[in-house]
Amino acid sequence: MVIEETRRKRLDRGIKVRTESLYALSTWREMAYMILPRLTLILGLFILPLVLSMYWQRVLCSAGIYALLALGFDFLAEYVGLVCLGGALFIGSGGYISGILNAYLDWPPMLTIPIATLGGSVISTLILLPCLRLRGIYFAIVSFMLPLLAVYIIIALNVFGGTEGISALDTFPNIWVEQYIILGAVIFSLFAIRRLVNKDIGLIFRGIMDNDQAVKASGINITSYKTKAVFIASIIGCFGGAYLSHLYSWLGISLFAMDFSIVPIAASVMGGMGTLVGPVVGAFILTPMSEALRGFGQLRVVLYCLILIGFIVYKPEGLMNYLQRKYHQFEYWERV
Amino acid sequence: MLEIKNLMVFYENAIAINNVNMRCKEGVITGVFGANSAGKSTLMYTISGIILDMKKKEKMRGGERITVLGSITYDGSDILNMKPSERAKKGIILCPERRRIFPESTTLENLKIGGYLATRAQAKKTMEYVFAIFPALRELKGREGGFLSGGEQQMLAIGRALMAQPKLLLLDEPLLGLSPKIEAILARTVKDINRETGITILITEQYARPILPIIDYAYVLENGGAVLEGTSQELMENPDVKSAYFGL
Repeated sequence: MVIEETRRKRLDRGIKVRTESLYALSTWREMAYMILPRLTLILGLFILPLVLSMYWQRVLCSAGIYALLALGFDFLAEYVGLVCLGGALFIGSGGYISGILNAYLDWPPMLTIPIATLGGSVISTLILLPCLRLRGIYFAIVSFMLPLLAVYIIIALNVFGGTEGISALDTFPNIWVEQYIILGAVIFSLFAIRRLVNKDIGLIFRGIMDNDQAVKASGINITSYKTKAVFIASIIGCFGGAYLSHLYSWLGISLFAMDFSIVPIAASVMGGMGTLVGPVVGAFILTPMSEALRGFGQLRVVLYCLILIGFIVYKPEGLMNYLQRKYHQFEYWERV
Repeated sequence: MLEIKNLMVFYENAIAINNVNMRCKEGVITGVFGANSAGKSTLMYTISGIILDMKKKEKMRGGERITVLGSITYDGSDILNMKPSERAKKGIILCPERRRIFPESTTLENLKIGGYLATRAQAKKTMEYVFAIFPALRELKGREGGFLSGGEQQMLAIGRALMAQPKLLLLDEPLLGLSPKIEAILARTVKDINRETGITILITEQYARPILPIIDYAYVLENGGAVLEGTSQELMENPDVKSAYFGL
């Protein structure tokens, strides 16, 4: 019997295989193949402020914050196996520390932001430390709950401005500084994390995600590595928080808002989990989209959800997973 | 009863099953032998339809593309694209590799879950039958599945599959990781099940010796292709099989 069936075959492009090794970069074409996607992202982000109007420039700033959170979320979820919904915790602790230092001690943002980034991440890591033994949904629940706890502590004790918050913090000199600080931070942390996950420590992180008992059996202290991972992710998040309080020149309990925990997940789902660049791109699409839908009033959330559901149903792998596959592989029909 | 023609299964570009033709006659035990990576489990997944589920999941997360080509005819109708649950209703029941019993349910509950497709009377009758062929299970009725020993878990898995009222029972490596003594008991029980209830059985195993005496017809898979087939007697006399699968 003659078989008359065909199937689609998928193969890596030769150029992809060649450009995987640094030493194989011998032609301009290969170099362009490797550099172009990265360059498009970097240049694209840096050109955006130049073409946008004032209003959208502000949106870009907050999109950058969500991008940082989404990056941290993706790193923790897909490379360490900790589904961390603590975005609001990071933003809140970073934002409150820098805001308080600025309001009470009158330190300039140049000083408060680095201090808040480090101090906030140490505090968030310490808070999350006891729950690091939890995994999966349990860790997610606890990390989701902690920001709510912080809000009620602030309200109950009426410290740090209570429900009113503290206003009139120092702002950045001008909108250009604002935008390029956050864009620079996004690009820097994106490439830093990408490098990190390919180092030995990244290998251990992924090992912890796949089978933590096997990692333990190799004589590696997994709690210490999980702590390191959470610390790295919270540095990124706390920088976003510290930046945010100076961006709006205000701090208050809405820094612990649920949005900061939820939107990163949506951005990761849309952009493609596990690609690192995907969540960043997702955040830069979702945040402006949510703004653009503002005209619909209350229907905004419904439309927003519909778009997300559409993504989950029709492209569950996410945007970047799909694009990367198309870029690196080609398909053809093959007779079997 | 079951006829497989030109079956090919690809995991992305790797071929797991290459042009396999085989048939299971009604009421007999058919064996499939092969080393690791020969494609035994894939064959079982394909017959039971689990592969369609795997295919969908892989597609959702943008992973490997699983392609299934060829035809599987069961009772005269083509079932290649039928959902696993539909196939189970038609009587194709898989007893999966590594047992996959529900570890937090008791033995009795595991059996009851297996009897979801059966009527009340059938379930009662089958449960009595299961306890009759595996007396060990009767004493462990209330014990949680996770606390059973390997052999007891395998008995439970077979019992659970029987509860679903199979017409074609697929046993995927039922002797995996068991002691020779329990291997012999299980092999004999499988034969008894076939003789007493007339259920058609397709059984895969790596190591042919304990199984070969009870089967009627067997296929040998190698690297995804069926390289040999024959009755139990024919295979036993084949020198290649002797050296490769009996260790003689």
